[in-house]
Order: sequence, then C-alpha cells, then structure tokens
Amino acid sequence: MIAEMREALQSVLGTALDGEPHLLAGGASKEAWAVDAGGEKLLVRRAAVGVIHKHTLSLADEYGVLEAAHVAGVKVPRPIAYIPDLDGREAFVMERLEGETIGRRIVRMDGVPPDLPTQMADELARIHAIPRARVPFLHEARLERMVEELDEVGEPRPAVELGLWWLRENRPAPREPVVVHGDYRIGNLVVRAGDGLVGVLDWEFAHVDEPVRDLAFSLVRAWRFGVPEKRLGGIGEAEPYVERYNELTGLDVRADEVDYWEVAGNVGWAIGCLTQMQRHLSGRDRSVELAVLGRLGAEVEYEILHLLERKGVT
Amino acid sequence: MSERPTAAELAEAILEFLGGEILPTVTDQRLRFRTLVAMNALSIVYRELERLPPDDDTEQRELAGRIRAGDVPIGTLGRVKRDVAGRLQIASPRYLETYDEAGSQ
Repeated sequence: MIAEMREALQSVLGTALDGEPHLLAGGASKEAWAVDAGGEKLLVRRAAVGVIHKHTLSLADEYGVLEAAHVAGVKVPRPIAYIPDLDGREAFVMERLEGETIGRRIVRMDGVPPDLPTQMADELARIHAIPRARVPFLHEARLERMVEELDEVGEPRPAVELGLWWLRENRPAPREPVVVHGDYRIGNLVVRAGDGLVGVLDWEFAHVDEPVRDLAFSLVRAWRFGVPEKRLGGIGEAEPYVERYNELTGLDVRADEVDYWEVAGNVGWAIGCLTQMQRHLSGRDRSVELAVLGRLGAEVEYEILHLLERKGVT
Repeated sequence: MSERPTAAELAEAILEFLGGEILPTVTDQRLRFRTLVAMNALSIVYRELERLPPDDDTEQRELAGRIRAGDVPIGTLGRVKRDVAGRLQIASPRYLETYDEAGSQ
C-alpha cells in the first residue's frame, strides 16, 4: 500500500518523496501520514477504512474550509492538494506544522505562552469573519440536534435532560450565524514555546452557527487537561480571551452568554460521549476507548450540574 | 441503576482488545502464556457478569422523561447530582476530588 501511495503522491506533488510515508498515531476516523517531499514537511490526511460519519465534513469539504481559512489569514497548515483517490480513498495534503498538539502537554509546557488566550481570540475572530459565500456547502447547526442524538442512543440521562431543560429556558437572543470551527479547543491547536499559537487544526466539524457557541467551547472543563482552575483550556482565564474577541469583532458578548454556551458545550460533549459509546456497542467501531467514554460521560454530567447549581438551580 | 456499557460489555471490550491487538504483538513465550491466562480469567468475569439480572432503569427513565416534559420541581438537581456522584464513585472516583468543597471550581 505504501508503494501505491508513494506513486500517487509523487504524481500529484510533481516531485519525488524524501523517504517513506510514515503513519502517525491516533485518529479513528482519519489517517495522518507524515511525508517529506521537495524539502517540505507535509501531512497527508486520508479517510480511514469503512468509516462514515453523519455529522462531519467529507475530506473534500474539509479541504475547502481549510483553503478558505488560509485565504482569510487564519493560522492554519497551508493546504497543498486535494486527492479524490489516494490508493482507494480520498485524502488531502497540507503543510506539517512543527509544534505541540497534545492538550495535556500544552497545559504543562515550560512557560505556556502568556499570549495564548489572546492569540486564540485573534484566530477565532478571523475564522468567524470567513465569508459564508466562500464555503457554501457548510450547513447551519440547530441546538435541537443534541436532543435527537441523545434519543438515538436511547439511554436515560437525567443530568443531560436538566442541562437541555435549562438551555431551553434561558436561551439568549440569537446572534447572526457565522462560519465556525466547531471543535475549537486547546487540543486542536499547534502551539510552540516561543511563538504560542501557530496553527488551528481539525476542521471536520466546521459549520454555520452562533459565534458565542464556538467561543465558549474551549472553556468546557473536559478540555482543561487536569488544570480545572484555569477555565480557558487549562491555560488561562476566560475574561482576556472574551474581551479580545469583543474588541476584534465589535460584538458585545456578555459573561452570562458565555456561561450559557459553556453549559451547551458540556451538554453537547456529554451526549458526544454516549454517541461514541454507541459506535462501539453497535459494532461499527469496536474499541475500549469508545466503550469507556460511555462511563466517563458521568464526569461531564457532574460538571453540567455544577454549572447549573451556580446559576441558582436546585 | 443500570448503565451502559455494562460491566460485562466493558469486560468483553477488554477481551477483544487483548486478543486482537495485544496478543499478536507478544513474542516472549512466558508473557504470551500469562496474557492467555489473564484473558481466560477475564472471560470468567465476563460470563459471571453476563448471568446477573440486568438492573432496573425504570426510575431513571421516568425521571429523565419528567425533566424532558419540563416537570422540574425544586430539589431535582440535588437528587440527580447524588445519582451522578454515585456513578462517578464507580467510573472515576478521583474526578470528584477536582471540585473543591465550596464547589467554586
């Protein structure tokens, strides 16, 4: 297979590969191959065998979003080529950025770059400014989809129901929908000690949505990687991040609005744990990792209740 | 309280992992033997768990249904929180320690 891949890549890139493609760890739904060609470090993102996801973008559309983000000046790996058929599966090639991408390591870096929170706001403001016409294939999300996903799994989760109830009762006035990343959190960034944020990765959940939902997603406790007292992804406080975002976008996002969407992010991830579990139980993707998420979702449920308690729910 | 994945389903997932991903990589004969013994022990656990009657989740289903219908009397959150804390005592006991006593974090 590596030989076929090598051939196909050489013809697309128009240059010989330096060494063999090398499969990187992680990623159940996508493969990531490190490839060097013409003196450049590249990454090939390729569909994994037999995986069909209902609510994620195809690699063709993900590549389209990456291109639009790149043109809009968002820090992303430079998109190089989309390949409809790379040894039988779709794929694309992009620049391979050097830096830390593991959330748990980023929060423990020697001297987390102090500018990281404001840099995160900078990039998010740029993402939200991507013209919708550039990415017409993106769908608009509905909050109600969370309920549908919960019902598809069919397990009773009173804590999640309480979260959904509170979200229905307290919904803030809607804001103009924008292009959102959809999974904007520390674990999807490339961070370097000196420069801070150098790239935003994993665009497969991009869609059109409320901007504050995207803004607050990085506050969800599950993405603080063992540093729960730092609300922004285990690396900083929320306020400078939100303030900077407001400055750049001209919006006036209030703290209670951020709180609301933080609850929504937790409810979404609590349901996400169940849908991941279902991938295992249904036999689609047998994996201990997915199975155990079904139980670890109780952590997220506890956080939902903790947040609601602070909002005065008893 | 009944919760998916059940203990039996977790044991089954671990058995598949050991048999499918670990065993084929173990070349040391002694370790290979001990891995097979461990898998056998785990399959005993699995079969024993499989024989247990399933827990009744009627109460949780009813509670979830009432909240969905907007019937959320005072005290609901406290009750649900006790249930979730109980599940965490099994699934992730140290997680509860990450919340301080005042509940501010």
